[in-house]
Amino acid sequence: MIQLAIKDLKLFLKDRRSMLVTFAIPIALITLFAFAFGGAGKSSSKAKISLLVSDLDNTSASQGAIARLDTLKSIQLKALPLAEAQKAIENGDESSVLVVHQGFADSLKKGGSLPLELQYDESKEIEVGMLQQSLIPTIAMLPFNMGNSREMMGNRLAKMAGSSNTQAKEDIQAKSDNLFDAISKGVASGNGNKTKNNPASNFFGSDIKMTKLVKATNDNQLGLVQAVAGTAVMMLLFSVVGIGMGLLDEKQEGTLKRLLYTPMNPLNILFGKMISANVISILQLVIMFIYASLVFGLDIASHLPGLLLTIIATAFACSAFGVLLASFAKSRQQVQGLSTLIILVMSALGGSMIPLFLMPALMQKVAVISVNYWSIQGFYDVFWRNLPVLNATFLSRILVLLLIGLALNSWAVVMFRKNILKLT
Amino acid sequence: MIEIKNLKKTYEGREALKGISFTIKEGEFYGLLGPNGAGKTTTISIISSILKADSGDVIIGRYNIDTHPQNVKQLIGVVPQEIALYNELSAYENLMFWGGLYQVPANELSNRANELLKQFGLEDRKNDKVKNYSGGMKRRINIASALLHKPKVLFMDEPTVGIDPQSRNLIFEVVEKLHKEGLTIVYTTHYMEEAERLCDRIGIIDNGQIIAEGTLDQLKNSSSIKETIAITFSNLNALHVKEIATFWSDMSQDENIIHFHSSDIKSDLSKLVLKCNQLGVDIVNIEIQKTNLETIFLNLTGKQLRD
Repeated sequence: MIQLAIKDLKLFLKDRRSMLVTFAIPIALITLFAFAFGGAGKSSSKAKISLLVSDLDNTSASQGAIARLDTLKSIQLKALPLAEAQKAIENGDESSVLVVHQGFADSLKKGGSLPLELQYDESKEIEVGMLQQSLIPTIAMLPFNMGNSREMMGNRLAKMAGSSNTQAKEDIQAKSDNLFDAISKGVASGNGNKTKNNPASNFFGSDIKMTKLVKATNDNQLGLVQAVAGTAVMMLLFSVVGIGMGLLDEKQEGTLKRLLYTPMNPLNILFGKMISANVISILQLVIMFIYASLVFGLDIASHLPGLLLTIIATAFACSAFGVLLASFAKSRQQVQGLSTLIILVMSALGGSMIPLFLMPALMQKVAVISVNYWSIQGFYDVFWRNLPVLNATFLSRILVLLLIGLALNSWAVVMFRKNILKLT
Repeated sequence: MIEIKNLKKTYEGREALKGISFTIKEGEFYGLLGPNGAGKTTTISIISSILKADSGDVIIGRYNIDTHPQNVKQLIGVVPQEIALYNELSAYENLMFWGGLYQVPANELSNRANELLKQFGLEDRKNDKVKNYSGGMKRRINIASALLHKPKVLFMDEPTVGIDPQSRNLIFEVVEKLHKEGLTIVYTTHYMEEAERLCDRIGIIDNGQIIAEGTLDQLKNSSSIKETIAITFSNLNALHVKEIATFWSDMSQDENIIHFHSSDIKSDLSKLVLKCNQLGVDIVNIEIQKTNLETIFLNLTGKQLRD
């Protein structure tokens, strides 16, 4: 019995595929998810959420407020003119812009409602929610942290009370001073950034107007697009690997050698495989989106040109990946092990498993190396951002997918000559 | 039809072919015999243009394989050692696919496929998936797939491995018919009886070299080996063996059987029977073992063909 166990362990240790599935893949995924959910790294190295800011007030008060926001550890501020900022959001490059409207300084002084607006992409609601959580306490504390805060608060309270009587105003100012002192103590004791415990933020509430710059056409669209696009691309990668492995099957079963006996150019064998992989990939994606349309009501009819373009580009890139893996590997087992690892990592990284906006900024940057990223962003452009087919951002994503496909196919040709055509 | 000159091929420092040369006439049935690893498949791979030789020339028809590989590929048909078919396709679909790669027009191809299915006795099951065929039936389709474009030369690399006698006989009949019709056939095998039955000429290959070549009779005549008379005795003892050995030195004993090597069986047989009677040993059985390819091969290479 022990001998049998030892034998099995020896076999296991010699089986690279088992080692890969047992150790390498889980370790890779744990690492990725740990980064994705922010569990990895020290707090000082936590990734910041990017926030654009457009200062239309352009006063020392507005600049001071922006400088105050810039001290937040969780936010990376970037100043841009409003039109540029809005374009970046519409293209899906950024999630939101904080607009400091004209009259900000005046409102701050008079204790009026601050003319701040957060324009955002609804598809990145979770990221925007996190931004809000960071912004609101700081904005609420602006009257305390900027000059004339005691006066500002008094003005604000008086305004809220709606009194024009001088005596009443003075009473309010006196009460305001007491309140100000109490709140100031709270701020000083370190509760300043915690909305829940901070009397100031409870008192002032949010002064940010929320505006959806990029909106869903229906309520389920975002989750649906994420689910369909994310799953479709990941499953497509798995299925194209299967198609690519047909090459290795042909080699193993002798049909590849028989094909070489014919007058056909040997490279046509690979090109034939590429064509069939593309056709099957397109078919698979089309059927998945038709299913999502019929069962979940995804509106494909009004997005048809963009959808088809994205499907074709995605199929091209993914099928090239499958063919390359098969050309690269020397056995079916090798392809299976390698492909599982690569696909799971690419899918986790590229947004198939976790929506990209939930990931830290660093991982969002790294995600661009994944085919999944470009495909999913393409589908987002089509369904979510409603970008026209000729939009430069959308076309750039399509171009990237096509270039990935081209590069992988070219590499597959080289590897096919080197590995697959070695027959004897 | 085929001219091979000084063909050499080395794999990772090992010489697979050490300068093979032979010629095959048009319409000839040429057998290439050799044990596993002798160089048969390497030779077939080179002359069917899927493997480059390190040096040497191969001319098929009028074409040099290095300069006109596509012309050569149109001239030849190859029956690989493996059953290289698509199992999920029917026999008919397989034939249409393989024939299509030789640019045979669709109508002509369909007629040709049906004709071959009939010839190989598979007309009734032409629409069945190949995966449901027996090993012998698959072998037949494997051969038919190489004949769709009516090649001038057919290379058959061990085409009858692992099949039932019925399929084997059917394949022999078809191959013999093709040979009669003028097809040049190069046939590799390690089944001696196949080579003896089918081949006009035989080349024996071992360690990457042709070590003997000729018709079966020429090979027998050129061989130094003798035929054998194997006599089984019922009461053989050590004294008998000593006496017999004095009388006939070119012999070997295997328990109660003695193998007498002879260059003239007719006269030697009577001498041996007479001597045995004189010694008082009882003969149970007499077997004449004639020279065949197996013994020639064994003599030439020191190996069994199936080694």
